[in-house]
Amino acid sequence: MNLVPLVLYAAALIAYAWHFGRRSPVVGRTATTLLVAAALAHTFVIGMVTMEIGHLPVAGATSAISTFVWLLALAYLYIEMTTDERAMGVFILPLLVALQAIPALRPGIEDRAAVLQGPLFGLHVSSLLFAYASFALACVIGITYVLLFTEIKAKHLGFFYTRLPSLQVLDRMNQRAIVIGWVFLTLGIIVGVVWAAQAQAGYGAGDPRVQAMSLQDPKIFVALVCWAVYSFELFAARRIGWGGRRAAYLSALGFGIVLLNLVPISYFLTRSHNF
Amino acid sequence: MNLLLVGLSHRTAPVELRERVDFSARGVTEALRALAGRGSTREAVILSTCNRAEIYAASDETAATRADLERFIGEFNGVGAADVAPHIYDLGDLEAARHLFRVAAGLDSLVVGEPQILGQVKDAHAAAAEAQTVGPVLNRVFHSSFGVGKRVRTETGLGAGAVSVSYAAVALARKIFGDLAGMSVAVIGAGEMGKLTALHMKKQGVQHVTIVSRTMAHAARTAEAIGGASAAPWDEMDAAIGASDIVITATGASSPILTKARIETLMRPRRNRSLFIIDIALPRDVEAAAGEIEQVFLYNIDDLQATVRENLARRASEMTRAESIVADELDKFAAWLRSRGAIPTVVALRQRFEAIRRAELDRLDFKLSALPPEARGRVDEITRLIVEKLLLTPTEQLKSAGDADTVGAYSEALTRLFGLGGEDADGKREKTERKVEPFTRDRSRSPR
Repeated sequence: MNLVPLVLYAAALIAYAWHFGRRSPVVGRTATTLLVAAALAHTFVIGMVTMEIGHLPVAGATSAISTFVWLLALAYLYIEMTTDERAMGVFILPLLVALQAIPALRPGIEDRAAVLQGPLFGLHVSSLLFAYASFALACVIGITYVLLFTEIKAKHLGFFYTRLPSLQVLDRMNQRAIVIGWVFLTLGIIVGVVWAAQAQAGYGAGDPRVQAMSLQDPKIFVALVCWAVYSFELFAARRIGWGGRRAAYLSALGFGIVLLNLVPISYFLTRSHNF
Repeated sequence: MNLLLVGLSHRTAPVELRERVDFSARGVTEALRALAGRGSTREAVILSTCNRAEIYAASDETAATRADLERFIGEFNGVGAADVAPHIYDLGDLEAARHLFRVAAGLDSLVVGEPQILGQVKDAHAAAAEAQTVGPVLNRVFHSSFGVGKRVRTETGLGAGAVSVSYAAVALARKIFGDLAGMSVAVIGAGEMGKLTALHMKKQGVQHVTIVSRTMAHAARTAEAIGGASAAPWDEMDAAIGASDIVITATGASSPILTKARIETLMRPRRNRSLFIIDIALPRDVEAAAGEIEQVFLYNIDDLQATVRENLARRASEMTRAESIVADELDKFAAWLRSRGAIPTVVALRQRFEAIRRAELDRLDFKLSALPPEARGRVDEITRLIVEKLLLTPTEQLKSAGDADTVGAYSEALTRLFGLGGEDADGKREKTERKVEPFTRDRSRSPR
């Protein structure tokens, strides 16, 4: 069922790339329409699964990725609608297509482990996914910042110069995305700690995965590294004037770690989060 | 009826002549009225800008109208015919349409792709519409040209990129800072160049301009001339730069006054705030190495000129795409023009059928007179509808014929088959053409 959104995301990617190259307004509108259609189809898929299992499909790694893609698509659409700026789509869509390929190729309804319950668990996962979606946007905005910055510095005003918004706007958008992401990352981690403490003491005491929830687990450790990177970025931007290009590089680094945590670590390394 | 263009432009006439041949001086409406008074044209639009004066007209007597328009251009503007004649060009039908499309697209402009011309073409048409000198031909060709202009603007990069140094500087500042409102500008040097650039920036909405000069009196005078600017003495230059987002240097100093080390010191308290330095002085006021500082964007006059050249080159490369849009729209216009070639035949055919219908109704009048008036009206209506339905397909076929030869062959066949070619065919043409519009409107209203 995740295949339909994947196909629509891929079609939208082609349209965004075409629009970026040729800047035809008709193609641009088509691209947005395709992405809206993809997001709607994805909403439908997630809605159906939610009805079937009785909660948002966020417990397993695969369904969490699908939900992450959905959140990122919505967040991007929100930015596009509010800024009337389509140039970023060509950078976001490849990420959506690549990540959505995972749930599309690994179908099946998730089977929630009995221990994963309670409002705190839902809050934990959805805050973290939302934080990661913000970081993905920050990363893409950062990349475009560097591309434009390099062109202006090199005094060769060409491809990106004519297609991207100003450096100031990109920098501000990046900062905003980082702040929002950081707030939800912090919230998600704190809620996760509280939930784990409750579960380890109570209903999850018999589950080895719940018992493995400690700093030694790669998933938890890397999440904290992530938190450290973004905290530093926020601190550096405010205290030592690390904006612009340095902030952009940090955003890319941070999101690299997020991706690491979201895909390979979830599937192969973690002992505590492999649901 | 033929389309005709007579005029002169920056391509054919020197600026001295263009200044004298200016219809807008006495008003385009006045000119249109004067032209209509001469009676040589059926329709007319006057396009008058600082780079061109062109009359688009529709008439039946092409040669006579062309000669009269040439005379009119000189007479109305008070320029001798001998002065004007060598610079005038004239084009007919499709070539005239192609010219108008290229003009509206900005392809014929002095600065290729400049955006004002489309508005000027629209204004010219609106003025003529107001003066009631446009008809079906000019309406069609001008509306097509608006479409060409719009397509070229949205589908090609013909109008993209700044093509003058000062606009290139402003465009760059926008790409760095986004909105210029709220920005502060420091101008180092109170010379003419610095003053002009500062004025330009002020016009673009920057909030604050500070003039720094070696002589405070100079700075104060320039600041006053700009209006809303402040002056600062030479030894407060660092503070002025520190408070600014954009710095324009234009002094006559023989060696750089802003070294990399000096700017580095100035950048430290700014943290992440970018500084855009435009060095328009010769020799340079700012050390080139200063551009290596992370948040400093340094452009000198050569860099700006290079970006202008790049933009011009890019526009030139977009011309092929714009030309193909022109060709595309010209094909559509040509098809429309051809379909108009069929109109006399269509009208004759319709008149023939109508005459037959009338004759038959008259012949049967004695039988119909017994009927009540409603039934007689019904008979009239039904026969009319039959005629319309019979004519519908041949009319459409004739109008959509692909080329002039086919139209000619069809017309010839129809003329013979229905005996349309009366002895008064030529004299009738003018009269019948005016009835064309009611005919087409009638057809669309009739029930199917």
